[in-house]
This record gives sequence, structure tokens and C-alpha cells, in this order.
Amino acid sequence: MAILDVQHIEKSFGATKVLKDINFSLPEGQVLAIIGSSGSGKTTLLRCLNFLETPDKGSISVRGETLFDAGDPATQRESEIRRKRLHFGLVFQNFNLFPQYTALENVTLARELMAKGEKTGESLEDIRAEGRDLLTQMGLQDRMGNYPHQLSGGQQQRVAIARALAMKPDILCFDEPTSALDPELTGEVLKVIRSLADQHTTMIIVTHEMSFARDVADHVLFMDGGVVVEEGTPEEVFGHPQQARTRQFLEKYKGD
Amino acid sequence: MFWNVTLTLLSGLGTTIQIFFLTLLFALPLGLVIAFGSMSRLTPLRWLCNTLVWIVRGTPLMLQLIGFMYIPGILGNNIWDGEAGRMTATVVAFSINYACYFSVIYRGGIQGVPAGQREAAEVLGLTKQQIFFKVTLLQMIKRIVPPMSNEIITLVKDTSLARIISVYELTFTGYSFMKSSGLVWPFFYTGVFYLLFVGILTILFNLIERKLSYFR
Repeated sequence: MAILDVQHIEKSFGATKVLKDINFSLPEGQVLAIIGSSGSGKTTLLRCLNFLETPDKGSISVRGETLFDAGDPATQRESEIRRKRLHFGLVFQNFNLFPQYTALENVTLARELMAKGEKTGESLEDIRAEGRDLLTQMGLQDRMGNYPHQLSGGQQQRVAIARALAMKPDILCFDEPTSALDPELTGEVLKVIRSLADQHTTMIIVTHEMSFARDVADHVLFMDGGVVVEEGTPEEVFGHPQQARTRQFLEKYKGD
Repeated sequence: MFWNVTLTLLSGLGTTIQIFFLTLLFALPLGLVIAFGSMSRLTPLRWLCNTLVWIVRGTPLMLQLIGFMYIPGILGNNIWDGEAGRMTATVVAFSINYACYFSVIYRGGIQGVPAGQREAAEVLGLTKQQIFFKVTLLQMIKRIVPPMSNEIITLVKDTSLARIISVYELTFTGYSFMKSSGLVWPFFYTGVFYLLFVGILTILFNLIERKLSYFR
């Protein structure tokens, strides 16, 4: 059964239709790569999943629970959105780490606030131990006490991934996670994402790294002009694209 | 003589310090309210706040002082009675005036924090309050320390405007002494008081800036 089911999502900004009837589903433990040129709606789609944008039409379900339905105002209550969005984690292109907190504090902040505010019964020591484990997993065991400005871009992005993982999301989303990094730092971030895929973390990755998408994804969506032009396995989309627009797009990445 | 002048100036300084701290006490939070109002989604509220800021920044503080002090009396209801009344009128006028300037600085500070910070916090499930107090606030404070230090140092010297409604603050006492004694040095002595006051504030602001320099 699909862990995520997205149906008929539409979103406009003013007169511009950014998403037009987007449908897809994602089985648990799989990796979905979304490719497409800038302005194709990929990022807006991720932002809709994370409740940073409200779709005009359509519905989003996780594990059979309807989290959002544009036709049902009851699913759009502010108080519940906070809980619902925790089904998703989001890693941003520009990391967006909190500059006034150390790497470890960035990872544990939300969990600690939740433990204090909602009396989840978790001890701060457990949360911190888990945060240290996550950072170690990211290869940052020596960087836990550093502030973001003392870290390289690649290190910052790995802290951001640990921060997202700390919330134990069902689905981890990446919005062009390496677009702000130079090639050398890109590699270390991709390596971490790949290891998450090997552990069967359910992920949606918006990326311009075509060879990485081909390699790591179970399923690929190619978006253009707010619609899904083509989808399939990496072999299908990259190896035997059916649509002229897909071929034209992939042509530019030849040799990548 | 020197001792005499010192004592008189110190009493004037006391009044100056009173105006200074009372103004900060009221203007710092009031400015935040106006800042939020001027960023509100409610158009009438935004309009109201922006108009207030326009009027207050667009007219001299001295004119505002005179207005607050004398208009109630002219309208037949002198609410500012005696020395305490003049002091109250001063603090009210100063608080509103400085709150408007502060609000613009706050707004810059709030809007200067990248939207990605709020979004990252939202995605992690933080409440609106947690986002403000745990994520945005400190970054905003760091941004506003330099412009606020400017404004607060200006406030020290603006307190001298209160003499226009006969509040015995530092400049007034210094000037009175000069006039009655015919001596020039009390004038410079008065200046030294301001310099020391501002000097202490400058050290304080540098300290805050250094305290906040651990992040960028």
C-alpha cells in the first residue's frame, strides 16, 4: 500500500497556474525523484506537501489518513496542521539552519520544545543522545558543538538532514539539496542521502543531479509547466523517454 | 562653588535619567506593538499605525511636547498639574515619539530575518510563539542593536528638549547656573555629564554586540 497518496493537486499564484492536476503515490521505503527545469513546479509541490503552501484543489493522504483536502475545511485547521506536517520532513536548498544554535542544538531544538510543551515524557538526555547519534551517522561527530557559520555548506546540509530526521518523519523531502554546494561538497551530501535510501527511508528528492536520481530513485517524475509529463522507473524515464519534452530536457544533461 | 554646581547638575541629571529610563520602559514594548500593527494583515490597523508613525516622525518632538503639555489646559482640563504633571507629559510625549522610531527599526529587524528561518521552524512543528521566541527573536535583536544604539543615544540628548515645558533636566540646570553666576565653565561641565552618560551606554552596546557575535 502506498504511504503517500497525492491527488489532483492544483496551485496558482495570482494568475499563474503553477501546479495543474498533480497525481502520484509513493510506496513505503521507496525513493521518488522529481526532475524538471526551474519553474516547472517541483519546489511548489514539495512546499504543498509540507504545508508551506495551501493547494487550491486536491488532497494529500499519508497511510490512508487524509491530511489535506481542499474541499474539506476541517482538514485545514491551523491547530492540526502543526501535527500533520510532522509526517513530512523537509531539507531546504539553503539549509536554513538556525544560526544561533550549535549543530546539536539545531537537531534537538524541536524535539526538546515538544517534550517540554506537550509532556511527551521524553527525557532531554535521551533526545540529545539521539541527536548525537544522528550527527554521528552524518559523519559529524566532531562538529556537534559548532555553529552553522563555522561549518562548510556540505556539513550544514548534513546537519539539516539530521535535524529533519530527528522528527522521525514518514516521508523525508529534499528540495534541491545540493544546488547551493560546489561539486566537492555535493558528493558528501549525496552519499548521506544514498545511505538513507539503502536503509529504506521513504524520500522525495527534487534534484538537478540526473545521474544521482537515476541511481538512487525507485521512481522518477518529470515535471514541466506544472504537470507531470512523464513518470516511471529510472530506466524508463532516463533510458527510454516517451515524450519529446522529456528527451529535450534530458539532452541537456548528457554526460552528467 | 564647584561642589554647589555639581550637586545642582546631579539633580538635573537625576531628572534626565528618569525621563530616559521611563521613556525606554514604555517605548520599547509600545514600539513592538506598533511594528506588528504596521505589518498586520488588517488594512485599517496597518493604515492607522503607518499614519501615527508618519505624524510622529513628521513633526518636531518639541512641538509634540508643547502639544501634550498645553493643549489639555487650553481645552479647559489641565491634567498635567505641577512638577509631577510636567514630568508625566514629558514621558508620554517621549514614549510615543520614540515608540514610533523603534517600531520602524523593529520592523526592519523582523523582516530582515530570512523567510527560510520561519519556514524551517514551521516544518519542524514549532508553534508560532516558539518560532518567535526561540528562532526569530535573537536574530532580530542582533540585527537591530546598531540602529537601536543610535536611537537610544539620541534619546539621551533629546531629554534636554523637556526644558521647553520647564522640566528641570540637566541642560536646564546647567544653563540656569551659567545665567545666574555668569560663569562659563558650568556649561562645559554639563557637557561632561552627557558625555559620561553616552560613554557608559556605548560600552554597554559594544558589550551586547560582542555577546551576540558568536553567531552570524
